Amino acid sequence: MKKYYPIGFLFLLFFDTLGQTGFKFSANYAEPVNYSFAWVMRILTNKWIYMTCISYLGAFLTWMILLKKVPVGPAFAASRLQIITVMFVSHYIFNEPPKLNHILGAIVILCGVFFLALAEKKLAKNKEQID
Amino acid sequence: MTILIILLWLANLCCDTIGQIAFKYAAISSHNRIDFDYWRILLFNRWLWLGITSYAIGFLLWIAFLSYIPLSQAILLGSANIITIMIFGHILFKEKLTFFRVLGVGLITAGVIIVGIG
Repeated sequence: MKKYYPIGFLFLLFFDTLGQTGFKFSANYAEPVNYSFAWVMRILTNKWIYMTCISYLGAFLTWMILLKKVPVGPAFAASRLQIITVMFVSHYIFNEPPKLNHILGAIVILCGVFFLALAEKKLAKNKEQID
Repeated sequence: MTILIILLWLANLCCDTIGQIAFKYAAISSHNRIDFDYWRILLFNRWLWLGITSYAIGFLLWIAFLSYIPLSQAILLGSANIITIMIFGHILFKEKLTFFRVLGVGLITAGVIIVGIG
């Protein structure tokens, strides 16, 4: 496994999480939800939605750089780590404590990512032996 | 009604899968190092635009899907994209499906479903 993959994934997670956080801030700011023109304008005129736009652009560029090298299947699965980071943000910033199944699911996802990392390590080792 | 929901789900699944596969094709379309020129060329790449279009349609389908079934069930069905993207990555890009990879992807899918419940 190349050294920069984890760094790329960290950037991806950071941008994805920041994007979701911005969405939540925007939604809160724009309340009440009444699907009116004024509501749309409240969304478009608050600073958080622009943080989201920039974050998602950052996430997209990071993803395109990662995809140059990493296999899309395992990488897409690993990018679900954002569920856990968003859970932390929900808890500490928005006071939405995780339920038992959220914590359980997070642990299962972490196990999955662990095995994906192990898989990459083994593949790299096999490649070394062939070379 | 049920058929409509299934069709919406399958169409959304197709969009997610086509989107990621197209992004992968776009990313490997040039072997240039990543500089300004790389991004300039990428901007006119047809795979990139197929991916973006696919995601835009998928987004609308997802919203429609959510108006018929509750979010927790939607996430359960929606997490199938993790599996389909792995399968098509294997078919189209010869990505190896080793035991640990399949185990990892399976666990992540299960984890997403567990988070989605309730």
